[in-house]
Amino acid sequence: MAERTDPPNPSGFDIELLLKQARTYLAFGEQLQPLSERFHETMGQSGDWSEALRQHFDEFKAALAGAANDPDGHPDLARLWTVTLDTWRQAAAALGVPTTLAPLAGANGEAWRTYQKVQDQYLDCLRQAARDALDLMEQRLSERAATGATGESLRELYNLWVECNEQTYGRMLRGPDYGVLIGRLINALLSCRASGGTPA
Amino acid sequence: MIGPTPAQIAEELRHFQTRLAEGARALRGLGPIETGVLPHDPVYQEDKLILYRYRPRVAEPRPVPLLIVYALVNRPYMMDLQEDRSLIRGLLDAGLDVYLIDWGYPDAGDRHLTLTDYVLRYIGHCVDHLRERHRQDSINLVGVCQGGALSLCFTALHPEKIRNLVTMVTPVDFHTPDNVLTHLVRHMDVDLLVDTLGNLPGQLLNFTFLSLSPFRLAGQKYVDLMDILDDAQALKNFLRMEKWIFDSPDQAGEAFRQFAKDFFQQNKLIKGEVVIGGQRVDLRNVAMPVLNVYASQDHLVPPAASRALAQCCGSRDYSELSFDGGHIGIYVSGRAQRQVPPAIAGWLLAR
Repeated sequence: MAERTDPPNPSGFDIELLLKQARTYLAFGEQLQPLSERFHETMGQSGDWSEALRQHFDEFKAALAGAANDPDGHPDLARLWTVTLDTWRQAAAALGVPTTLAPLAGANGEAWRTYQKVQDQYLDCLRQAARDALDLMEQRLSERAATGATGESLRELYNLWVECNEQTYGRMLRGPDYGVLIGRLINALLSCRASGGTPA
Repeated sequence: MIGPTPAQIAEELRHFQTRLAEGARALRGLGPIETGVLPHDPVYQEDKLILYRYRPRVAEPRPVPLLIVYALVNRPYMMDLQEDRSLIRGLLDAGLDVYLIDWGYPDAGDRHLTLTDYVLRYIGHCVDHLRERHRQDSINLVGVCQGGALSLCFTALHPEKIRNLVTMVTPVDFHTPDNVLTHLVRHMDVDLLVDTLGNLPGQLLNFTFLSLSPFRLAGQKYVDLMDILDDAQALKNFLRMEKWIFDSPDQAGEAFRQFAKDFFQQNKLIKGEVVIGGQRVDLRNVAMPVLNVYASQDHLVPPAASRALAQCCGSRDYSELSFDGGHIGIYVSGRAQRQVPPAIAGWLLAR
């Protein structure tokens, strides 16, 4: 009576999920590599890790902020903060909204504009949480360094980045405004569908 | 401080890429992933519902059958995920005669199913079938998560048919301050959703659950997968869980409408204001022995949401079991296998 996944993918696992996140991890590493290089150079010259971190972490934040402002420009790096948005787009696609975010054919113009506006607000929230996470990560690195601890590996730094994002995102998620916003987002999307829109 | 040098980072990235190529091959070569491993047989069917009996693992199982009512969200094979992670196996080993409701996958034809259908018709018919089959006036009921809330409703309406009630990670007070799901559902226009879509798509539920912890659940988890690529058993365990997570049935529209509005948005269960089949659900009617099992680190159903049952049910034989773990770990962790089924079985067999 055991249940089995259906062919053609024998395990049923969507390997693209793994590949996407792997590419994101690699992009994270590629961003950290020059940062590490400059950090160690500065350390060699001045020995002041605090100043070295402050100087060079800003560059890392700027790179990620750039990806946040233009996700299509560097999709693998952008996925570091658009992971929630990607999940939302998949859900929206299941409701019949194209993931390209093009207007629905036949959708009421006002409903569609409202949806776009709310989605922009949602994106702003995600961006802000991602920026806050980088500030928190810098703070954690400084705290660790003050106690003599160093992140020994790229993986450790990635795990710290995840932890910081979960913390700032979680704070946003549980805040009073987010519940209202996610409600408006879903309601706005439904209004587009209700107004007769179909996938373009 | 940035500990790793550029050379160390480059080496880690190179190693990761090698592992990734190997991993993709390993994953493709794993073959089908089985879930729901213990032998079980259908004994009753109605619409898409199938009631299964798990084959007893003792010569003479206990005469009072045990019915497990799982949530409508996700699939019930979580109760018997794999050989060494099976709550049902633990209950069978303790000598219980175990039945499980599989709700199936609602489709467009089910959009008008209501909570009255689920509680009074489906659960009711399964309970009556087992009472008749085992020649018992009343049976034991285990309700899991949302299935626990539905079980409470049934029990409150038909207390004479339930001998003992076990609720597992079951929300009763939906408005505790730490209830994130309620926070997310509260401002949703449920009428617009159901009127527009009919059924609630499972993918929207997936989004909701993943969005609670996206960087871990949709990101880090897959990077960590690289660490277990050499361990076929660990990989299969991972894939079983993945299969379960994304195996989200759509929710029948009308039933979802009432559950989202009455339970999540208006918290009517604890207020005694839920109406099913024209009858008010009064939890004070739940006067039989009750065991309330909750997980102390549950992020979906906070302990306080479950423990509220103590104050509003009518049982004088009310006990709680706190499991030190989360909403999923309570079914599938190794510690859960050692602690939870023996505790439930022990409590039932003492009554």
